[in-house]
Amino acid sequence: MVVLSGCATRPEWPAQPAHTPIPEHYSATRLDQRQLLDHVPFHGQELFQCGPASLAMMLNSQGLTTDPNELKNKVYLPDREGSLRVELVATARSYGLVVYPLQPSLSHLLSEVAAGHPVLVMQNLRLSWWPQWHFAVVVGFDPDPRRVILNTDTREQHEETLEVFMATWTRAGNWAAVMLPPDQLPATAEPLPYLMAVNDLEVTGHTEAASQAYAMAEVTWPEQPAPIMGQGNIAYQQADWSSAVQHYLRLTQKFPELGAGWNNLAHALGQTGCHAQAEEALEHARSLNPDRFSEPLESDSSGAASACPVMAQ
Amino acid sequence: MRTIRTYLRQVSFVMAILMAFATVWASPAVASVVGTGELLQEQQVDLDRSSLLSMLEQQEVKDKLAEMGVSQADVEERINNLTPQELAQFEQQLADDPAGGSVVGIIVLFLLVFVVTDILCATNIYPFINCIR
Repeated sequence: MVVLSGCATRPEWPAQPAHTPIPEHYSATRLDQRQLLDHVPFHGQELFQCGPASLAMMLNSQGLTTDPNELKNKVYLPDREGSLRVELVATARSYGLVVYPLQPSLSHLLSEVAAGHPVLVMQNLRLSWWPQWHFAVVVGFDPDPRRVILNTDTREQHEETLEVFMATWTRAGNWAAVMLPPDQLPATAEPLPYLMAVNDLEVTGHTEAASQAYAMAEVTWPEQPAPIMGQGNIAYQQADWSSAVQHYLRLTQKFPELGAGWNNLAHALGQTGCHAQAEEALEHARSLNPDRFSEPLESDSSGAASACPVMAQ
Repeated sequence: MRTIRTYLRQVSFVMAILMAFATVWASPAVASVVGTGELLQEQQVDLDRSSLLSMLEQQEVKDKLAEMGVSQADVEERINNLTPQELAQFEQQLADDPAGGSVVGIIVLFLLVFVVTDILCATNIYPFINCIR
């Protein structure tokens, strides 16, 4: 009996939704009653093309116009008869969505669905040593009789038993992600992982979406410096020096102990021609991290300063 | 035996160089703006470090350490000296654990690293291990 229970553990239905950063937005989140996201459109996959079909459903559900045929060129490798996960993620980013990978637990996955967000999942339909990878979109669940509802292959709202879903999902490393526009926060978002997801948008050049997401994150997590720094860095990259100075000033006011904030402020001030203030800011940075900010400022900007800010002491 | 010793010496030489590089990369002097990703990585490292340190506060871990004859202060110091890469490795171990993280297991794994570095004489925490010189 002990041996038997050892190899056939019954997956548990989570009793509580996962922690959410802004509970008031998701007060109705419940895992103990049936949920079905009717607004997610369905695309049946063509041969081997679960990647483009699943991605199209994810994008369409956010109001973006595309179809599997159009996505096929971006994410389908005919030779391999499949799609790479990184390509699905990168393509979603190119549509200005924040791709947030979920923590590998069923309660996180179901909490997102309960909050109205379809979830892209990866499954291994065969065996760990002889894998058959598959992408599908979770669009609902039913705690009684323990079903996960998927738009998968050619089946719309297919009700899979929890046992089958967990076995196939676990064999693919419990990978799951939501893809949301920058003004919507995932229900299970944690500050650092979410900000890293936004940073991925920033570094891949989708700066407008990234700025928007940082601005929202600044309101959601006032204790985090990265959202403000991100907005400043984007302005700096775009050579919008005065906006960069505004953001970095706000950063140093709220987080005076952060050397990187003073350093970035110094560089932005240098670009606006406020050299005295720039040196002052760099001094602050050096007093906090002497080794890191030892390099002198480049003074390539010779433009006269118009309105330099008064530095707080 | 002699060949093993020569071999180990080469390995530790390579390891020493790798470690030196890791330290050099950890905090380069910057002459430009600090990227958002860089800030986030630093914050993640701090978070990992403090979560590892907070594990030492658990009673079963304290018991295990006492059983192995290691002082908590030594372990704390070692954690504070870990590079971001080493920390990430331990966090990975935690994440991979299907049971959701057996804390004692992680700490014991951690101590195994001490033993290995002790053998190479990089640290000197376990007096009973004879160094290979």
